Amino acid sequence: MIDFRENWRIILLVIVVIVSLFALVSPTLASGPDSNSAVVQQSSQTNLQYGLELAGGTRVRAPLVGVTAEEVEFEPANAREVEQRIATAIDGAGPADVIARPVTETTGTVEVTVEGVSTTELQSILESTGYTASTVRTGVTETTRQEVVRILENKINEAGLSGGTVQEVTTAGGGHFILIEVPNEDAASVRSLVSERGTVVVQAHYPQDDIYTQQTVLQQDNFQSIGSAQEGQSGGAYVPVTVRESAANEFQQATVDTTLARPGGTRCTYSRDQNSTEPCLLLVVNGEVTNSFGMAPRLADSLRGGSWAQDPVFQLQTANVSEAQEVAINLRAGALPAKLDLTGDDGGTTSFISPSQGENFRTDSLLAGLVAVFAVSGVVFLRYRDARVALPMIVTALSEVLILLGFAAGIGYPLDLSVIAGFITVIGTGVDDLVIIADEVLAEGGVSSRRVFQSRFRRAFWVIGAAAATTIIAMSPLAILSLGDLQGFAIFTILGVLVGVLITRPAYGDILRALTTGNL
Amino acid sequence: MAEFTVPEVDYTRYSNYQLVVIPLIILAVALLIIASWYVLTGSPVTQGIAFTGGTEITVETDGATTTQIVEAFSVEPESVQAVPTANTYIVTFQSNGNSGVAVTDLTRQAEQAGFEVQSAYEVSPSFGATTQTLALGGVGVAFLGMSVLVFLMFRVFVPSIAVVVSAFSDIAISVALMNVLGIELSLGTVAALLMIIGYSVDSDILLNNHVLRRSGDFYESTYRAMRTGVTMTLTSIIAMSVMAAVATAFGIQLLAAIGTVLVFGLIADLMNTYLLNLSLLRWYKFKGVAR
Repeated sequence: MIDFRENWRIILLVIVVIVSLFALVSPTLASGPDSNSAVVQQSSQTNLQYGLELAGGTRVRAPLVGVTAEEVEFEPANAREVEQRIATAIDGAGPADVIARPVTETTGTVEVTVEGVSTTELQSILESTGYTASTVRTGVTETTRQEVVRILENKINEAGLSGGTVQEVTTAGGGHFILIEVPNEDAASVRSLVSERGTVVVQAHYPQDDIYTQQTVLQQDNFQSIGSAQEGQSGGAYVPVTVRESAANEFQQATVDTTLARPGGTRCTYSRDQNSTEPCLLLVVNGEVTNSFGMAPRLADSLRGGSWAQDPVFQLQTANVSEAQEVAINLRAGALPAKLDLTGDDGGTTSFISPSQGENFRTDSLLAGLVAVFAVSGVVFLRYRDARVALPMIVTALSEVLILLGFAAGIGYPLDLSVIAGFITVIGTGVDDLVIIADEVLAEGGVSSRRVFQSRFRRAFWVIGAAAATTIIAMSPLAILSLGDLQGFAIFTILGVLVGVLITRPAYGDILRALTTGNL
Repeated sequence: MAEFTVPEVDYTRYSNYQLVVIPLIILAVALLIIASWYVLTGSPVTQGIAFTGGTEITVETDGATTTQIVEAFSVEPESVQAVPTANTYIVTFQSNGNSGVAVTDLTRQAEQAGFEVQSAYEVSPSFGATTQTLALGGVGVAFLGMSVLVFLMFRVFVPSIAVVVSAFSDIAISVALMNVLGIELSLGTVAALLMIIGYSVDSDILLNNHVLRRSGDFYESTYRAMRTGVTMTLTSIIAMSVMAAVATAFGIQLLAAIGTVLVFGLIADLMNTYLLNLSLLRWYKFKGVAR
């Protein structure tokens, strides 16, 4: 009869192993394709997910080009003017290369995202244009980084690269990097994708002799500025745009000619029925229609009346803010507010792993791990010459790896080489601890009573606990610092040590007691 | 069938001085190697491209020679390393100032020469420099943390410092061996150095614990600790050397680097624990009486 109270450690281990197995192979836990971790590929038999190193693909980690002046004194309403004045003072910079963002009622940040402008240069430019800044530093603002991440995500999705992810990472040294991972794609195409600029045109869609035709009414360089998405006063949201004066008259005429600017405006139903809608304005990015708009009566009136060209501003209205943000991104045609620094000395890293190498690494590293386990088993058998001691030792060590695999599958942590190195380390420290327990418990001819077992087990545990604590201390810097590829290694080594000390190694003590005293 | 038992060493035959001199000489030699490396190259250990910046490309060929591989690229590779199991070569380019060629160009050159690019990895110099600071800081913090923890656990100076000194010696010897055998500092070897801190302390703690916290004869306690500790370390050495061998054969550099450097550290640990740490412990226990 099994005594549950005496064997609770073994029972706990069995339960945890079963839960891990469930997490590992149960189809119900398989996460969907929209999981946003760096998931690359899901193997068919298990819920394990593989990172780039084991699945193939490209990873680019790079900082953004730019210098930022903080607490520049200007009022929010003058932001456009600040941008233009500073842009003209910099050689080779257009209005798109300078971003002024109001922060408070009187100050804001000014970012210059053209290459080759140093902090001292920006400082002197600010002084010569009559602005004062508290500090000028390299790098761009948080808002810009987030915009870059959002735009890159859109680009990767548009290109049909499934499973691609973009995120912002911060190093312990305070450096900010953009991390892009795209499975099954080579480095050259990913780099050109993230650095190329798309084309955007605005077309009028209208019936001409009962056949719908499109006419381009605005080109990309006709825009003076493209505002950011804003919430409307009466619900909905909009993106304010300003057309250059040089193009304003032409646009005004075109809207009238294409019957867009008709009295009372138009209602656009392009998305539902493009062959019977009233005339629409279409936003076309890289040859594809991304958004369609009707025309408000008041705008139509001012276009027809000819007064619009004096103040060439209009708003692209959408149902909600996120849609408006989409429109703003589309209008900028995926142009990044700041470029990724892929070439210079300040650049980051690029790595590409071919899918076939990823697959080889997967099987080869499994083989390396298995061979290591067999080697350990051999030594343990030779040392104890007693299967009752050695076999549970190996089974216990393997159960630690199983629990960790289950954990990785459960939280969707992508397996990489470094994580596998962590598993092998865990087997190593695990067997070490089990040797300590076995030697202590079996000292001087085995255990006669439960009390002797308890005291010996406790003594063994002091050493194990101390060793575990030092391992955790040694690994924690790697787990916290984002030292690129070694974080997974450190995290899984620490997890393994914790699982070992709290669950599996105590259970081994109980197994050993049961087997050597025959007392279940 | 072979039998594996831990032999009993008769420590009474050797004085503390005799025991401590070997590990100290080896430590001194290791430090000398590291110091001269620093004088000659400006860095205590040869750094790989993860820290200096550079490009590493793995290409699969149809039996191309090393010279053909070198000629395929417009810049001279720093090293071309063959992977034993396949017709695969790992080509490394160190970035030196302005002559850096982008990884995309190198990949194209490899493809034009008819090689199949298995993987490509590029690190910019400044990113490498950041990584270097982080890695050094990480090892430093880990070592400090370990030292503090050891002192808190034993609360006596000599046994604690014995553990810390042998852990330091393990790392120094491993780094010196890396220099001598031409193993570059990579992310994998940094991980291995951190693991040496974790692993090496195990057997030292075991020894100290048996001698200080248990009743019984010094030599008997030592033998018991050794039986367990040597088994532990040997198991790890065998596991790691096998893993390193398999990973080298398959060209999995990260695992190979971790395995190799850990084997160095564990062998050094075997010596340091049972010569250096043990003699300091005996000196502490007998205060010089049993000399």
